[in-house]
Amino acid sequence: MAGPGLGRSDASGGQFLQSVLSVHGVSKTYPGVIALRDVSFSLAPGEIRALCGENGAGKSTFVKILMGIIQPDSGSIAINGQIQFVREPQQAQALGLGLVAQELSLAPHLSILDNIWLGSTEVPFLHRRASFRMRAQQALATLGLADWHLDRPVNSLSIGQRQLIEIARLLAREARVLILDEPTATLSDADIERILGILKGLRAQGRSIIYITHRLGEVFELCDSVTVLRNGQHVATQPVSEVTREHLVEQMLGRSFKDMYPQAATRADQGIRMAVDGLHVPGVLQDFSLIAPRGRIVGIAGQIGSGANMVTRSLAGLVPSATGSVTIDGRPMRLGSVPRCVARNVLFVSDDRAAEGLFPQMTVLDNLVATRLDASSQMGVLSWPALRRLGVSLAERVGVDRHRLQSPSTTLSGGNQQKLLFGRALASKEAGVLLMNEPTRGIDVGARAEIYRIMRELCDRGAALIMTSSDLEEVVGIADIVITLYRGRVVARYEGDGIAMSSILADITHPTQAIA
Amino acid sequence: MTERLPSGADSAVAAADLRWMRFDRARVFSWAQSIGIIVLLAVIFATPGFLAKPSILSFLTTVSFIGCVAIGMTLITISGNIMSFALGATVGVTAMVFILASNWLGFGFGLVVGLLFGSLLTGLQGLMIGWVRANPIIVSIAALALIYGLTQAFAEKGTIYADPGIFPASVKGKVGGVPIEFIMFVLSALIAQFILSFTRFGRNLFMVGSSFRAAEAVGVNTWRTITGAYLWAGFFTSLAGIMLAVRYDAANMDYGVAYDYDAIAAVLVGGTAIGGGHGSAVRAFAGAMVIAAVQVMLLLRGLRQEWQYLAAGLIVLAVIILQARGSGR
Repeated sequence: MAGPGLGRSDASGGQFLQSVLSVHGVSKTYPGVIALRDVSFSLAPGEIRALCGENGAGKSTFVKILMGIIQPDSGSIAINGQIQFVREPQQAQALGLGLVAQELSLAPHLSILDNIWLGSTEVPFLHRRASFRMRAQQALATLGLADWHLDRPVNSLSIGQRQLIEIARLLAREARVLILDEPTATLSDADIERILGILKGLRAQGRSIIYITHRLGEVFELCDSVTVLRNGQHVATQPVSEVTREHLVEQMLGRSFKDMYPQAATRADQGIRMAVDGLHVPGVLQDFSLIAPRGRIVGIAGQIGSGANMVTRSLAGLVPSATGSVTIDGRPMRLGSVPRCVARNVLFVSDDRAAEGLFPQMTVLDNLVATRLDASSQMGVLSWPALRRLGVSLAERVGVDRHRLQSPSTTLSGGNQQKLLFGRALASKEAGVLLMNEPTRGIDVGARAEIYRIMRELCDRGAALIMTSSDLEEVVGIADIVITLYRGRVVARYEGDGIAMSSILADITHPTQAIA
Repeated sequence: MTERLPSGADSAVAAADLRWMRFDRARVFSWAQSIGIIVLLAVIFATPGFLAKPSILSFLTTVSFIGCVAIGMTLITISGNIMSFALGATVGVTAMVFILASNWLGFGFGLVVGLLFGSLLTGLQGLMIGWVRANPIIVSIAALALIYGLTQAFAEKGTIYADPGIFPASVKGKVGGVPIEFIMFVLSALIAQFILSFTRFGRNLFMVGSSFRAAEAVGVNTWRTITGAYLWAGFFTSLAGIMLAVRYDAANMDYGVAYDYDAIAAVLVGGTAIGGGHGSAVRAFAGAMVIAAVQVMLLLRGLRQEWQYLAAGLIVLAVIILQARGSGR
């Protein structure tokens, strides 16, 4: 049966292979929002397709429809040429679709074997059968992990290794189409290399992959073709070889790509805001020193496990075991207590927005003003009008729609949620120190540029910014001073024109010299 | 509908087919909840004698005792610590301490000692939970056992009686036909709602309950906030104990029996989210009204105490199911 999705070929339709997945004219409307409008899509066997778009472009709605998590209002889905009504994830699984969601869905205390079969409808009540063991082993072998022991508990694995278990889970269930939602967002460079290599191997076996990512580098390194969505509509599908990076960003944004990173610090150096000497976290970080001048962004680069994120966490007062001497504007500050650090205007933006940033049940307004309750209260009694005024002005400054102030914060896109957290830093009257871990993780290009603009605005007001990032392009693009870390020790410090991607990459992977 | 779809007949078929799948679960369950409450109220008001003066007065006092504990429970729930099973025992023991202190140095002294005792007793549990980071449910169960054990050891006779005439007549009467207990309950709800809505502490409470780690990261003093929530919870709970003691001129540990459970039911029926970070004293007030009305109705229909437990259990079960199914995906 020829599915109607094949009748009208889309941009990648030069191929004559039968599509393994073909989506035709899918639309989905939520109250007040059109999430997807007449989107068509087809995927050939052995094709890796990048799915790009800003947050809110409709990527996750599209994936949820494919996986049967939500149902489209109209349109059809054909798998191997057969029209299917996918009503629930189990059915999608049986049809050969598999999803690795952004958040890992493994049970940490169970073994690799148990995790691979967790939730599978094939598994009978008593599941410890040799055949399941064998299929799990085969799945691992496909990934080049034949030496991993199936009975090892998942919590003994690194995050990167756990990601591989998620992929093995799909392979064991004989998924023909793998959907990966930002699989590399939380991984270190070495792990990313490994995953990309494995995905290429899967392609060679004829499996198809839909690869959702914000990292354009991966699109060009890994993918065959790229589909861009914007505002719920299909913008373009094209082979990767026929598109440039700038062009792709323009398609995603819908406007021309101006310089993503704002100008480097323009303000004259006005002395030291924060000085850190001999910062030590047992087992993680040794003898770390840093000087953060006013109006400058210090980038700390290091792979996962290098201790980079512990620098910012310690300085925010979140690490009780951290020791070392810290001065702000020349006056000493004790570590180990967040309220004490906040009192000195040292604020923190976590890399874990969901667990350590946002107050999910609370409104956008309440989230924005969270650090400024003191200024809007007298004798412990809050002034609602003052809070409202503060919220409105902050929303405008960070570029969040002021009409959303009373909405629950979870209804905002990831990029807008991140802007809220930065709004908290803008709220303080005096410029202080802003500590950030992965300031743009998992947010789209448009919001990213906004975040960089806010960072520069803070600099102009005289704040000192300290950030860690695993996105080296970002570190090179935005930081004025870069410190590289390897296994808890400083490797080198770069400034201005001395900042180069190659030397940073070399430092954080194979340090040649160590300066204290 | 069909002609608006551009992609042809098969899509229209798909759309018609899918329409059944698109019942918005949250909406269906919130409707079910509203209908359930309306039916319940209809049954209550249809009960013969419910709208008569004696049963209304009985309702107004019953709801006040449950309600004050429910307000305290709400603060604990909002702070992200689910529930306390020790509040009923706190009602009983506070009533006893209040009578002992009143017998010794008069009503005013008893009032101060009773409120302080109840607040500190519960506040201490808050310290265990906020500062030591002990599991709130385990702490409340341990506190429950400790309170019962200690009172059994020290008050052998079981019931403590107030000296005759120790309470001024004004605290036992009515104001404008309304029992003074109910006035205290309304005041408590207003005070608690003020704390929640208009104070820094209240805002901190919501933040800690909504996300403990995020609250820590923005510099909220989490242990103080949680201890504060328990202190206030103890305050409102001991108010219930004192009112009971004044009403009966006596105190007994049995006075507190089932108040924690009724309060939990009231909090849930009011719609405060069990996960924390969301809720209000007004909701506790409304929830307590429903639970108390059910209890009075059951009494009027001649059903014994056991049936009241059963009814409260069924109501809680229904609310939990509706909340979980309504919010879950």
